[in-house]
Formats: sequence, C-alpha cells, structure tokens
Amino acid sequence: MKKRLLAAFLAMAMTAAMVTGCSTPGSGGGDGGSGSDSDGGSSDAGGKKRITYTLREDVPSMDPQNSNSISSSSANIHVLACLTRNKEGEVVGDAAETWDVSDDGLTYTFHLRDGLKWSDGEDVKAEDYVYGMQRLMDPEVASDYAFIGYILKNGASVNNGKAKVEELGVKALDDKTVEITLEHPAVYFDAMVSMCSFGPARKDLVEEYGAEYAADPEKAAYNGPFVMSEWKHGDELIMTKNPDYWDADSIKLDEICIKTVADAKTGVAMFEQGEVDITIVPSEMVPQYAEGEFNTEAYFTGADDYIMLNQTEGKALANKNLRFAMNYGLNRKEYNTLVNYDTYVAAQRLVLPNVTSADTTYGEAYPYEPFPLENDNAKAKEYLDKAVSELGVGSAADIEITLLTTDTEGAKKQAEVLKEQYEKNLGIKVEIDQVTYKERLQREQDLDYDMVVTGWVPDYSDAYSYLELWISDGQYNHSGYNNPKYDELLSKSTTETDAKARQDLLFEAEKIFLEEDAALVPLQLRQDTYLVNPNIKDFNVYFVGYDFNLVYADLAE
Amino acid sequence: MAKYIIKRVLLAVVTLFVLTSIVFVLVRLLPGDPFSNPKMTPEIKANLEAYYGLDKPLPVQYVTYMKNVFKGDLGYSMKYEGRTVNRIIAESFPYSADLGIRALCFAFFFGIILGIIAALNRGKKLDFFCILIAIVGTSIPDFIMGSLLQYFFGIKWQILPVAQYTSVKHTILPSIAVGFYTLASVSRLMRSSMLEVVTSDYTKTARAKGLSEFRVTFKHQIRNAITPIITIMGPTVAAVLTGTFVIEALFAIPGMGKHYVDSINMADYTLVLGMTIFYGAFLVIAILIVDILYGIVDPRIRLSGKKA
Repeated sequence: MKKRLLAAFLAMAMTAAMVTGCSTPGSGGGDGGSGSDSDGGSSDAGGKKRITYTLREDVPSMDPQNSNSISSSSANIHVLACLTRNKEGEVVGDAAETWDVSDDGLTYTFHLRDGLKWSDGEDVKAEDYVYGMQRLMDPEVASDYAFIGYILKNGASVNNGKAKVEELGVKALDDKTVEITLEHPAVYFDAMVSMCSFGPARKDLVEEYGAEYAADPEKAAYNGPFVMSEWKHGDELIMTKNPDYWDADSIKLDEICIKTVADAKTGVAMFEQGEVDITIVPSEMVPQYAEGEFNTEAYFTGADDYIMLNQTEGKALANKNLRFAMNYGLNRKEYNTLVNYDTYVAAQRLVLPNVTSADTTYGEAYPYEPFPLENDNAKAKEYLDKAVSELGVGSAADIEITLLTTDTEGAKKQAEVLKEQYEKNLGIKVEIDQVTYKERLQREQDLDYDMVVTGWVPDYSDAYSYLELWISDGQYNHSGYNNPKYDELLSKSTTETDAKARQDLLFEAEKIFLEEDAALVPLQLRQDTYLVNPNIKDFNVYFVGYDFNLVYADLAE
Repeated sequence: MAKYIIKRVLLAVVTLFVLTSIVFVLVRLLPGDPFSNPKMTPEIKANLEAYYGLDKPLPVQYVTYMKNVFKGDLGYSMKYEGRTVNRIIAESFPYSADLGIRALCFAFFFGIILGIIAALNRGKKLDFFCILIAIVGTSIPDFIMGSLLQYFFGIKWQILPVAQYTSVKHTILPSIAVGFYTLASVSRLMRSSMLEVVTSDYTKTARAKGLSEFRVTFKHQIRNAITPIITIMGPTVAAVLTGTFVIEALFAIPGMGKHYVDSINMADYTLVLGMTIFYGAFLVIAILIVDILYGIVDPRIRLSGKKA
C-alpha cells in the first residue's frame, strides 16, 4: 500500500515537473508564443527597427521624480518630454518651444508647444510641469534626488518642511507657460531642466496609484518620443515609438529594449550571438576587443575619481606638504594600466575637461596639469622631508596612513596598486581597510578615515558641479577642506552674469584647490567601453544626467 | 501522523517568528543604511526615513512590521521604488523555481542512475567513470561549470543560446549548471548506500529465495538504498528552488538569487527580511515534507511513535 502511495506521489511530482517544464515563466502561456518579444537583437521578422541594450541591473524606478540612478534617468528621457532636451550638451526645446531668461538670470519663462498630448490622450499642460517639480521637492514624496531642486526658489525650505509646496518658485502662468524662479543665477539651468527630475507628472495618476506611480507601464502616462509598453521586472523593459510625440517624424526607431544582464561577460557573449546590439565590455576584456571584427566605443561617464584626503586637524594628511608628496609620489599612468587596462583616462586635475565652458569645453578653455602623469620622486621627496619635520616624526617610514576601500575585487586591486606605489615611491606605510560600500559612505560622512578612493558624478555640465563639493560647509565636503579664499571665489561665481568671467573665477578656484592646497589626489576619469552594432547610427552616451541616448538613433537596413 | 504534522507546523511557525525577529535586529546592525549614497544629505535622509517609517522607535517599527507580516504584507522595497516585496518575490520566484525543478529532475534522475551503475560495477571501469563525474561535479564551482557550458555550447558550437530564459532551449544549460553539483553528491551518496545494501543479509536472503537479479536490485536494494537520498532532498530542494545567485547572474535569468546578495549590499531592510521569511518558510516546509516522505518510504522510522 505504502509503496503504491509513494509511486503515486512520485508520479505526481514527475508530472508536475513535466507540465511546468513545457513553458518558461513569463513566456505568456504557450511555449514560444511570445517568441518575437524575446528574440532580441535588431532584426525582427516584422521589419521593425528595434535596438536592444543591456543594463547590469533592472531600472530601479521609472517614476521621474523618484529616479535616483543614471539607468532610471536614461530610460526616462526616452519616454518623457521635459521642457528642454539635452543632445550631448546642446540644449534644444522639447516640450517648450522657446524660453526667456530675465536680465538678472533668476527667472525662466518656458512657452510650451501647441497641441502636446499625453499617451492617454490628455492635453499636456504647464500645470503638469509645475506639479512634477513640486513633487520633486515635497518632503512626503521623499525623493532621493530632491537636492537637485535646491536651485529652485524655496527648494530647500520646501524639502525640509519649512515652507509649503505652493511656495516653490515654479508657477503655471497659464496652460502653456511655466515660470521658474531660481535661488541664484545658473547658466546651466536650461540644461538642468532637461533632467527627468524636473519632468512632468500626472497628478490624477499619481493620486490613483500612489507609491506605485510608474511601477508598471499602465500606471503612468508618457509624452516623450517613446512610451513604456512592457516591463518584466528584472528581465526587460520595452519602449515603443510614440506616434503622438510632437517630433515623431524625426524618431526612427520603433522599439527600444533594455535587457537586464547582471554579468557583463554574459552581455558580451549575447552580443556575439547577435542577441543584443549594445553592451558594456568589462575592462579586462577591452584589450581583446580593441582590434577585431566588432566595433567598440569608449565614452566618458562623467565620473571623476580621486583619493579624498581627510585633512581635519590631528590627521597626518592635514599637513599640506604630505598632501603634495602624495600627489607627486603617484604614477597615474602606471596605475591606470595596472588597474584599468588603460580603459580609463588618468586624471591630473579636478574638473572633467569635457564640461561646458561658455562656448567651448572647460578643458580647452583652461588647459591645466598641476600634477605629473608619472611620479616625480625628487619633488615628492622635497615635500615629504618638509612633512616629516613638520609632523615631528623620525622618518617617512613612521608615517602610517590607512586607505579605506570597498570590498569588491576591483577596489581591492586598486588599493593594492596604490599601497605598493606609495610604499615604494615615498617610503611611507599604507594600510588597507576593506569595508562594504555602505559602510565606506558612512565613514566618509563621519570623517572616520585617512584617505579613501571615491569620486563624483556631476549633475550638470559645468565646472561648478565638481567645485561646489569643496565649499567648507558644503553638504558633500567630507574631507575637512576649508579655505575661505576658495569659498569666496565660488560664491562670487554664482552671481557673476558674464559667462567668461564666471568661468575664470571657477578656474581660479580649481587652481587654489590643487596648486595651493593639494586638497586631493586626482586619479582617473572613468570611461565605459561598449560593443555597438555597426548598423546603429546616431547613438550616443553622455556624461551628465543620462548615459544611453537612442532617441534620435537609427538602424541601417 | 496528523498530530505529528500539527506539532511540526506549529514548531515551524515559531521558528519563523524567531528567525524574523533576529534578522529584524541584525539587519539594522549592518553598517550604513538603505539611503546612504554619495549625494545623500541629512535632510533628504530624514524625509526618506519618515516615508518608510524608520523614524519611529525600533520596537514600534517591529510591532508594525510583524503585524503586517501576519497579514501577509512584506512592505515596499527601499531600492525598487513602488514595488512591494511580495511582488518582487512573486515575479522572480517562478523563474528560480522553474530552473530549480529542471535542475533537480536532471540531478536526481542521473545522479541515482549513476550511483546504482557505479555500485553494481564496483571496481570496474564504469565505476571509475561514475566516480570521476562525481569528483568533477563536486570540485568544479558552478560559475566555472556555467561559463564552460556557455563557451562550448553557446559560443563555440552555437548549439544553444548563451543566456536568458525565454524558451525550453534556453533552460538546458543553466539547469545542468545548477544541477551538476547535486548530481555529483547524489551519485556518491547513492553509490555508497547501494554498496552497503548489496552486501546486506536481506539481499542474500532474497537471492537465496531464488528471486531474479532484476527483482533483487529493484525491489530490495534500490528501495532501501534510496532513503539517505530523501534525507538530503529537503535542504537541497529548498536551496535550489529559491534561486542561485551565480548561475542566474551568469545566464541573465530574472530569478530570486540576486536579491539575497543585493538586498544586503544595498541594506534594503524590507527586502532582506522578506527574502529571509520566504526562504525560511520554504526550507521549513521542504524539511517537513521530506520527514513525512521518509516515514512512508521507511516504516522503521515512523516518527509518530505509536503507544504500546
């Protein structure tokens, strides 16, 4: 009897396994029924123009105001028409056809185009943009990215609960006019409003779906070049062309698919099989793809990495000469080869040279190499000797500095190369302290470290974005750097209305920061290398606000 | 039997309660918090804490959380805005379970057969072959196995897709990669347990009775040798069905595996707790089922213990 029971049980289990074995989850019923969805790659049976790119994690949020990562904001610029659109630094009108700036640079008036529609047929109104920005600053919405809106008049006080949302400096003068007042003039503001944080939101849908606004395609509306049509969380997000977009005639693609592929090597293998069109290449694989049948392209991500030095009183690195020694004792070139396979660019200054400066780039307007590419041991020794006597220690070997770093493989390698270089070139002692990413951030904030490899990703293309960090009472200044001269220059720059004069002030500040104070050790400018289907035209990766931009991309037949 | 099951279920509930409470406290002891990022400011963090109710005293948070758990509500994830933990599990578990079932079918089916073949051919070439597979299976880590499969079947020979999980063809390589380790341990266990049985008295008796070799092997030896396999089934099933971090990442499968690691790295409190409860419940249930199965297969270890 028992045996028969067991047999029956096993038979049942097997049958269950077989039945479930017939289709995979998410394939929507019958096996292969949704084959066309899952084929990926650019060629599609229906002749649709479709581009698939990979991301290492699922897009965390499609809610424009709650978007707090580059992958979220990149996806959002495809489905939303913000007031302006950033085309690799060139700012053009999107929902706004034109805009005026008051003489004092504080008031921006945006005039919306005629006949703008949401994907559900509703009219796009100025009020939708006002609501979007109010939502960004509303403490109850608790957006991670609210800080970006502190530039709006009363932005910070609204976000801190000291002022009402209605007091925010954003108004709809009528259905087609948005007036924005700023806390201080900002030449980069027209580029800034192209970010999805300042994008429109639908009050009726937010009220209907609450926290789940935009968590699924049907829980939001879209007014951008594409609409979100499908989102299998953790797997893929599909955006299809929006025929009602005002510039739909210029949009060439029918579909964009974002595929979650956690392992970058898998993404490369999928690219080789023709299943995806754009994928990131892990840095250790870049050399092998440098010359070959495939097309690789490297783009700056905007991330600027440096060794942050804790210069609060009592710390060894509060000694300026020691900080100079750290800068001259580092071989940035060798470091970049050993750690990054030369896929990044060694940094010698603070500000990313690519950022906009009046009519050109900052790097071209102000070429500057305060520290050498390769180590200069003679100069380093000069500074180090001074530091040794000032610190009152016997010799360089008595100086011990702990390098705080994260517990990933990459971070470990980075730390070991730095340790070896400093111990060899300067003769000081470097200890490595590996902690989790979250703990590292906490200890940076608490100033509980000696030095740490960290970095900054700008939110707008302007030198100020990198420089404002180091204002002595700055929110993100976790180094103890404090120089009134520096603060004054930056503060002057915010009221200077002449673009060139303003940039001069910023460059002056950068020089003080590095040449006078050696306040940190510039390390590397990050670049991402992608394998790109050679048939893709007009695809770009930008370093501020978004990375992938396929809005105006095309696919050759 | 019914009394035994009820007792076990009650015990399971208590276990889960204690587990959840411990993890609730432990997760708060992790350095950093869910909202720390390089651009976080104290004011914005305060807004976020209020939004998720983290500004209240810990005991209050605990009571609220437990109440919700009893209602089956695991709360909103802190990393994935607007997605509940229930939903994240509901969306990712089917992938992990599907992969796990395929892997287990593969592993147990071939593992048991290999073990039997090895034992019946002890010391011969076939035995060495089976042992070789077992050694290879237990000593090669799954990510290397997965990469090798991808390289040969996907890239070099172009027979099977390298990644994703959209058709039956796509499931073959990851199932083998996940199942291979289990296959190896099952075959080793089956082999040694068969060897014990082969030399036992009842085998001799069965032969003495003049039963055919087929009957001796299937009715007497295999049935007795299979009990240890059932013992390892509980934890194995729970572990394999609830997702494997490495293989799912390697094959771009949207399963649960990544959430175990990511949620801790991101200090996503609600997701960590939700995953713990889910996995804990799954494990407890799997072990319970195995215990019951065990009793059915082997009457000697019926646990209810009839009163004399």
